[in-house]
Amino acid sequence: MINILAPLVIVFILQVLFYSWWWIILVPLVLGFLEKDSVLKAALATGFGVFLLWFGMAVYQWKNGGEIIVMRIAEVMGVGSGFILALATGLVGFLLALVAGYAGFSLRKVLIKEYQIS
Amino acid sequence: MRLFKTILAFLLLIVLFNLLNTNQGSIPPLGKFLNPFAGFWQNGEKLDHIDDILDVNGLRDEVQVVWDERQVPHIFAKNSYDIYFAQGFLTARHRLWQMEFQTHVAAGRVSEIIGVKALEFDRLQRRRGLLMAAQTAIQHMGEDSETQLILQAYANGVNTWIESLNPATLPLEYKLLNYEPEVWSTLKTSLLLKYMAWDLTGRNSEMDLSIIQASLGEEFVKTFYPENTPHTDPIIPAGKPWRFEAMAPDSIPPPFVPQFVRDLRKGEPNANNGSNNWAVSGKKTRSGHPILANDPHLGLNLPSIWYEIQLSTPDMNVYGVSLPGAPAVVIGFNKDIAWGMTNAGSDVLDWFEIEFKDETYTEYRYMNEWIEADQRVEEIFIRDGETILDTFALTRYGPLVYFGENQLENGHPTGLAMRWAAHDPSNEMIAVRDMNIARDRESFFTAIEAFSTPGQNFALATREGDIAIRHNGKFPLRGADQGKFVRAGGDTIGEWQDWIPYDQLPAISNPWRGYISSANQKPAGKNYPYYLGWDYEDYERGSRINDRLDQLNKIEFEDMQDLQMDNFNLQAELMLPFLLKQLDIETLPSDVGAILNDLHTWNYISDPHEKVAWVYNQWWLHIEQAIWYDELTLFNEVRTIPTRSVTSRLLLKQPKLACYDDINTPEPEGRSQIINQAFRQTIKDLVDDLGPYGEAWELGRARGTEINHLLSVKGLGRPGLYTGGGTGIVNATKKTHGPSWRMLVELGDRPKAKGIFPGGQSGNPGSRYYDNAVNNWVAGNYYNIQFLSSADIGNNSKLSLTHLRNYQ
Repeated sequence: MINILAPLVIVFILQVLFYSWWWIILVPLVLGFLEKDSVLKAALATGFGVFLLWFGMAVYQWKNGGEIIVMRIAEVMGVGSGFILALATGLVGFLLALVAGYAGFSLRKVLIKEYQIS
Repeated sequence: MRLFKTILAFLLLIVLFNLLNTNQGSIPPLGKFLNPFAGFWQNGEKLDHIDDILDVNGLRDEVQVVWDERQVPHIFAKNSYDIYFAQGFLTARHRLWQMEFQTHVAAGRVSEIIGVKALEFDRLQRRRGLLMAAQTAIQHMGEDSETQLILQAYANGVNTWIESLNPATLPLEYKLLNYEPEVWSTLKTSLLLKYMAWDLTGRNSEMDLSIIQASLGEEFVKTFYPENTPHTDPIIPAGKPWRFEAMAPDSIPPPFVPQFVRDLRKGEPNANNGSNNWAVSGKKTRSGHPILANDPHLGLNLPSIWYEIQLSTPDMNVYGVSLPGAPAVVIGFNKDIAWGMTNAGSDVLDWFEIEFKDETYTEYRYMNEWIEADQRVEEIFIRDGETILDTFALTRYGPLVYFGENQLENGHPTGLAMRWAAHDPSNEMIAVRDMNIARDRESFFTAIEAFSTPGQNFALATREGDIAIRHNGKFPLRGADQGKFVRAGGDTIGEWQDWIPYDQLPAISNPWRGYISSANQKPAGKNYPYYLGWDYEDYERGSRINDRLDQLNKIEFEDMQDLQMDNFNLQAELMLPFLLKQLDIETLPSDVGAILNDLHTWNYISDPHEKVAWVYNQWWLHIEQAIWYDELTLFNEVRTIPTRSVTSRLLLKQPKLACYDDINTPEPEGRSQIINQAFRQTIKDLVDDLGPYGEAWELGRARGTEINHLLSVKGLGRPGLYTGGGTGIVNATKKTHGPSWRMLVELGDRPKAKGIFPGGQSGNPGSRYYDNAVNNWVAGNYYNIQFLSSADIGNNSKLSLTHLRNYQ
């Protein structure tokens, strides 16, 4: 659970403060690096955490005064509904966080292996 | 293996980051765009919220803003600086992207936003000299301290709003195109004014007329492109005597055959740009007070071209529409006067063909000598590309806009230089401000003297009971037809020598008929001694307005509203009975019976449900094509065809004419034949396009109106609007063009006003105020305008109040 909540909370705080979208790469990368044991925790759980955050935040914005903009952007992007748009948003977050989490985890393994050999 | 996987993961991450962080063609950077903390998700209705008290850095005193239920700001300030500061601040709050984007278009800086695909557009725009003209104007305006204060206050207000933005609150379009606003400057306002001048005076048929004259002869042009078109009821009633001694130009240039053959109309402003305005005196109204009406016809877009606003200081209280990006109210009213504008249409842009010494375009022939041309270097920044330096020559006529396709016999290259009145220094800004504070006819006419370009027909009504109209602007003194054709630029003959004296421009006050009006038609009758141009709007709208105003008495707002929405097709009334008589029923397909029946019984009113209104429109276009396209396809382009009224007169009066024959077929065609063929073709095209005669043929469906977003992004516009009206109809609504602001004002003890524009106050597609007025505009409904005298809103629940305070 903590592996899902940690990226969710950390990315949330950083994005509220600094807006940039690439926190969903940087935070999972670091969290992935800090994860010692499980690639599943490093990648999938982090990805899921970011998915929940982006999907949840998108739905929150949509349902809090965002109905018109969501309807219009859904038409601009040729998707059927706001829900699909929110899902797509979540999936983008998931994909980036998944890859970043995996990359961080892999890097740790490579560096530790190198360190142990030397 | 792990190292390989790690490298692969990082590579994938880098690729994904790049893909989602930058635009991919027209797709926005999806990582940024979908980011629910700063992407489009943040552009919802919460951006409409404004606090009751707002700290605004830069104000000199407290400003109060009353918001009505349509989000119109009614601004109450204690001094001039604050009122324009607040106007800039609040307009930017609603329309920042639009106002900045339009200045990029004007300045030829679109490549900075969308990359190399806009380079040719930017190049042409620079060569037209809009940026140069704006720089000249800003220098001139800066010499007047009051103008400078207005422009600077507005710019400071805009910049204060820009500084308050963060990545989440940026307007949507910046997120779509992935860029950020830059600092607003007074030059940007100047650019916007020049852009409007270009939009209203930039279209020109000189090149076409030169080619037609060279190919088909002088007589052809004289006959089919006359200065006085049939039926025209000029703006100033034709009988008016002109009691002044007119100046005469020193020399009139001889005929000239240019080397150019290209079609210059491509990329020029919309031919439909026009407007209606009129004012009726108290003698003709039920209340005894004068009423003014105005509806400018422009390209319809979202965000809307206009921004509604009230500006109030101890010295001024004015209401109307402003141009986002420019201070003050352009069309509107105060407690003493109301004014409206229509485009003058008089010619203030001439083309001169210049002979250059060689391909460097640095020296040109003038008075048989080689004169050095000034060189202007334009730096065009291209997004994700290298910066281009574009040099163009400045001749004594103006900038060299086009290079010639052909060399002269002596081997020298040619170019087309543009002489445009808007390149000259002028201060329209102070004119508009002075209009806003004018109290009567005299002060209004003094104010508009500074309004040089674009030339406008200013209609005025005053509380004192005056009504007046003036064909206003800076118009060159020319001989007959000078400016109708491209001229040789080698000597003084044909150059602009002077301007028509301001007090000799067509104008009239309180005419006996009890009204004044204009609809872009010729400003004065044949006895007016100056040549102002020839390419005016055809007679229909002007005549219909005058016919109705002649008939109407005890006029009320509803009558004026009905007239602005009037769908009567005067040209169809003139031509349809004749055209129907020419039809050979036996040769027509058997299934056209219902169409013919409807055409015979049509009352010429082009309401949205009328099926035959669209049939007639298309039939007429086919007739025009059949008569003119064969002769007038010259150098692979269909050139400017004669006006509807000229073609109508020919058809009615001339049973036999060489033009009726299609020169591309061996058999000779006659009048009746082309009318029949055009009808058959029209029906065939409509059936192919719309299916069997039925609902789909209704004007509101077959044509209708679409209001596109400025970037033409599907999903951000309003297509499929069920509208009537059309070309040559008072309600000049067309597919993408039409009445951009409908306004009615009655000047009694307190002004009473109604208005509407097809859009909304907000430029944010996520706001309900983005397009909230569109449906009412389509239906012909108007909003009651609230002209407030103070910021005291009492218990009025439909109003809200914001205090803007300087926090320093």
